[in-house]
Amino acid sequence: MRIVLSSVAIVMLLVVGFVGQNLSYQQDPGWRVPSDAVARANPLARRPEAAAGGEKLFRRNCAECHGEDGSGLAKKNAADLLLPVVQSQTDGTLFWKITNGNTDRGMPSFSRLPELQRWQLVLYLRQLRPSAK
Amino acid sequence: MKITIILLAILTVELGLAQAQESPYFVTYDHHLEEPGNLEIEVYTTSGVPRSGQVAYVAPYMELEYGVTGRWTSELYLEGQGTVGDSAVFTGWRFENRFRPFKREHWINPVLYLEYERTSEATRIQKEIVGGGPDVTSPNSELQPSKNHELEAKLILSGTTHDWNIAGNFITEKNLSQSEGFEFGYAFGVARPLATLASATACRFCRENFIAGVEVYGGLGSTEEGFSARHTAHYVAPVLSWQISDNGSLRFSPSFALTQEGSPVLFRFGYSYEVRGLGSKLAQIFAGKH
Repeated sequence: MRIVLSSVAIVMLLVVGFVGQNLSYQQDPGWRVPSDAVARANPLARRPEAAAGGEKLFRRNCAECHGEDGSGLAKKNAADLLLPVVQSQTDGTLFWKITNGNTDRGMPSFSRLPELQRWQLVLYLRQLRPSAK
Repeated sequence: MKITIILLAILTVELGLAQAQESPYFVTYDHHLEEPGNLEIEVYTTSGVPRSGQVAYVAPYMELEYGVTGRWTSELYLEGQGTVGDSAVFTGWRFENRFRPFKREHWINPVLYLEYERTSEATRIQKEIVGGGPDVTSPNSELQPSKNHELEAKLILSGTTHDWNIAGNFITEKNLSQSEGFEFGYAFGVARPLATLASATACRFCRENFIAGVEVYGGLGSTEEGFSARHTAHYVAPVLSWQISDNGSLRFSPSFALTQEGSPVLFRFGYSYEVRGLGSKLAQIFAGKH
């Protein structure tokens, strides 16, 4: 009996975890990044300690839609930032997308953040790991 | 006493969370709109220091700013005014919308601003100055009965370079209740965060939580009374904002008159609090999901 209950509990936890996570995320093909922006390098690439500030910024500005662990909330149609389709993008691409947003799809522009803070966010996105649910 | 304790408690909680970024301007608009689904509740006061023959006043106002979409923000203002030795009056309301025509961030980002006002002549919040500026000498008993329907349009041009925000607003206003012609005004602002790199931990007085700048604003006359900088009010104003929490910020600005019109000094204070995700919460309630 105990094994059955434990199994049910584990299944329920997994279901809750997957319902919250946006595994069905599809990229917007119209969200095109200019080639010069794609090639931009992160000026903080050699300062990994700056990612801690990026984490703080992420929790403040991004977690509401992308979740605390970056897995993306399905109800917000927000990208799962852990997916290879996101992580394979260049730093410059991610920086450009944070800066400009995709306002027609609900992603706001974060150009109000100073440029270095947007790069800190990119730095932190590279450190995202799946949380143990 | 209870209210003081509650306010101190709120401020303490806010300070404990201290972080984030917000525009420091009081008059100038930049191109950053409210995030979609968020509601910003803002409470401000404009206090006028009198010249000889004038009396001091305080004009409080409240703004409810809602991000309808990523490129459309709506805002409702409720405003009042209290004059020393005179009276306190509710001076009216305003409803404005800002639209950002372009999706992407550019060097210069235009935003279109349209506002309808239902205010009395006693209004003194001076959220913008057009024509010759507000009447700060006549008593409220004379000014308050005169209610106006007004339409106001602004072209907001704003951009950010090397973390400096530079914004210019070109204002025109038409009083539909009285024949005043078209009145014009302007506002320019420059501001920059005191630090551009976020620290690793939450902090109260980190430089990253402060944005400082300066704005210049004033009236440019009207089609009825002619265009002149001499007989209109113009101000230069250092501005400072302090982000005291993820959702709250304080702003302060003393404005100094450059001409003999209007009050010689205006003190502006503001507090804003952002309610995040209000739109999606309301959608859940009305859709019956909890």
